[in-house]
Amino acid sequence: MTVSLAPAPTDAASSKEKPALAIRNYSLSYKTDSGLVTALKNIDLTIKKGQTIGLVGESGSGKSSMAWSVMRYLPPNAVETGGAIRLAGEELLDYTQRQMLDIRGSRMAMVFQDPSTSLNPTMRIGEQIAETLMRHRGLSKIEAFAYAEAALARTGITRPKEMLTRYPHEASGGEKQRVVIATAFACEPELIIFDEPTTALDILTARQILDLFNQLREETNVSALYISHDLGLVSRVVDEVSVLHHGVIVESGPVDEVFRRPKADYTRQLIGAVPNPDRWLGVDAPNPPKTLVKLDAIGVQYGAPSKFQKMFWPDDAEKAGYWGAKDVNLTVRKGELLGVVGESGSGKSTIAKVLAGLQDFHGKLEFDGQSITSRKGIDKSYRRRVQLVFQHPDASLNPRQKIGTIIARPLKLYGVVPREKVSARVAELLEMVRLPADFAHRYPHQLSGGQKQRVAIARAFAAEPDLVICDEVTAALDVSVQAAVAELLVKLQKDTGTACVFITHDLNLIRQLAHRIAVMHHGKLVDLFDRDDARSPARDAYTKALLDAVPVPETLAPETITTEA
Amino acid sequence: MRKFFSSPTAVVGTTLLTIVLFAALFGPLIAPFDPQEFHPVARLQGPSATYWLGTDQFGRDLLSRILNGAPATVSFGLFSTAIGVGVGSVIGVIAGVSGGWVDSTIMRILDGLLAVPDLLFTLLIVTVLGGGMEHALLAVAVAFTPGMARIARSAVLSVRTRDYVRAAVARGESGFYIVTCEVLPNALSPIVVESTIRVSFAIMIGATLGFLGLGAQPPSTEWGLMVSEARQFMFRNPWCVAIPGMSIAMAALGFNLFGDALRDALDPRRSH
Repeated sequence: MTVSLAPAPTDAASSKEKPALAIRNYSLSYKTDSGLVTALKNIDLTIKKGQTIGLVGESGSGKSSMAWSVMRYLPPNAVETGGAIRLAGEELLDYTQRQMLDIRGSRMAMVFQDPSTSLNPTMRIGEQIAETLMRHRGLSKIEAFAYAEAALARTGITRPKEMLTRYPHEASGGEKQRVVIATAFACEPELIIFDEPTTALDILTARQILDLFNQLREETNVSALYISHDLGLVSRVVDEVSVLHHGVIVESGPVDEVFRRPKADYTRQLIGAVPNPDRWLGVDAPNPPKTLVKLDAIGVQYGAPSKFQKMFWPDDAEKAGYWGAKDVNLTVRKGELLGVVGESGSGKSTIAKVLAGLQDFHGKLEFDGQSITSRKGIDKSYRRRVQLVFQHPDASLNPRQKIGTIIARPLKLYGVVPREKVSARVAELLEMVRLPADFAHRYPHQLSGGQKQRVAIARAFAAEPDLVICDEVTAALDVSVQAAVAELLVKLQKDTGTACVFITHDLNLIRQLAHRIAVMHHGKLVDLFDRDDARSPARDAYTKALLDAVPVPETLAPETITTEA
Repeated sequence: MRKFFSSPTAVVGTTLLTIVLFAALFGPLIAPFDPQEFHPVARLQGPSATYWLGTDQFGRDLLSRILNGAPATVSFGLFSTAIGVGVGSVIGVIAGVSGGWVDSTIMRILDGLLAVPDLLFTLLIVTVLGGGMEHALLAVAVAFTPGMARIARSAVLSVRTRDYVRAAVARGESGFYIVTCEVLPNALSPIVVESTIRVSFAIMIGATLGFLGLGAQPPSTEWGLMVSEARQFMFRNPWCVAIPGMSIAMAALGFNLFGDALRDALDPRRSH
């Protein structure tokens, strides 16, 4: 016995030294029509046993490519140009796809961004968790289901047994993500990759998922790679962080170190761009406040019953449809920036559509003394004075029109400037949104997301409106671009004195910009307060919950901010 | 343009189409013989130095007949598709843009028509109108209309809910501007692509009608009719069936592949 034990300690010692995941000098390119495009370059990353490493980067930085490289599930046009990826010392690059089948799910698992697309809609939730267990741990069906129930219970689902028999569409977004996490943890893997696991969830649910993640990590001592674009969020869950920029790790180190004393320029820029509610960007509040728009008991009913239905099935008709917004009373003052905050489905976009005259509504809309009671009552002069900027810049610009044509359209439509001065004005507007004048000859697909959003903003301001409605204009953009767009809006507001309704789910951002903040929940306006009163005890319980749930970048000490400012 | 020819589909499609269109334009001029001239001593022959593709039961030169038949066959496909697509698209765009009960009424009628297979529908129309090339052409056009209307409508519907159209509505643009400047340019490419592919179907239906004796009448050199006439002699000289049959296949394949390649190239995000 003693003899056989002799080599054991060295074995144990060496396996202890071996990190859960080691990536050495790894490079990856994609073959495209325009030649090889580098996605990752000389990546070095080590995750020790039980450690969580954050990988932070904007879209296109290669963070998802990294995840798929580790999972060994790359598209056929991927070319690996060297390096090593070792899972507990074993070289994954040498494994065939067949060998990887045994490793994926049992030794490595992945949690995806959108739980509604990562679960199979035609399989019961129980079967989906049990499948992994039966495949990798050779359990019988009964054992697997019993184990699945325990796994679900561990993720804080209240009635796990019932959940096992449900289909994915019968569970909420948060519950689905818990199921995905339970599946990932089911086989007790050595490494779990989290690819933006909270991005598709509401703020409150995201907060719960983060807490769950921290709890499970302590219980199981799993190693994890946490991929995210959200710096504030990453600082809450990880031990060490690596910042990825154009496929290169520009900085890595302990999370406090990186956030407090960033060394690389890019990191500094990224941290500076994170919205900080204490850093005021907006213009001075209009004084004295004058009302521009007044919403009087505005309601929007989706799927309203038809006359036919009302006549023959009055009982059903009463239950038909649902109210996207109900009894909303709100005023927008001249020259102010009003923030509207809420989760998805809270009715904030419905209000934007009503204001822009895209949605039939009940109630009364008062605009600068003029009273409007239906969508048909909205005339062209109202439409000129109220402009809308959409969330997705790719969708809101006609792909077959040049930028110049797009911006010139409101000028021609409303006759803002004489015909011969249109092109000069377009150049001016482009300059106003800090784009070169020759962009007028380009098509939208030749521009980046942030540039397209600037064009959309230029189009809105071309009409010289009194009110611009911004419907989640920064949601589809990267952090640094987001900050630039927000600053641009404030600058335009300062120059033109236009009022602005800024709809967002990002409380940190809105507290930097808005004079007053309206909170919506389930189609109702639950709270309306001045920016300074955000933390006052008089706030609605829901507002408080929202404010507490936002991951304020805690580790961003004031020193960082001052050096940035 | 270079991008367009980088796919083998585009190259093959364009090559076939060029050959077919060349034959359609210049075929009658370059034909070595009169297509109706009998050569009694050289009946049902295989390819030879004199008759490149062989001869039929009357000793007529097959190559000359094919070249002479090309204009009729190809123009049949093009014109019937053009009429069908034109009428169908107008109906589809009206349905898609107006929505509501107008849309429902139009689409339910079209659904009824769509339930009848293309060929059967064409046969029905030809039976009512009587045979002949013009009637067959009209029949194919009518048979294509419901399908094209449906495609045009779905293209319009998918564009109508885009943000840039809603932006135009919010700006207070007129309905005419929204349809012609915002909706149509973006809905056009599926319609163009579908119509290119439909030309090949039209040629095949035209040939089928000719084969059944309901389209072109003898002594026309329409390709479908040629197959039909030569059927009896198929075992004595397979060439007289194979040559027109292959010509039909070539024309249909050419339009079809070209349409496919066009679909890939027409997407503005994929060009440049």
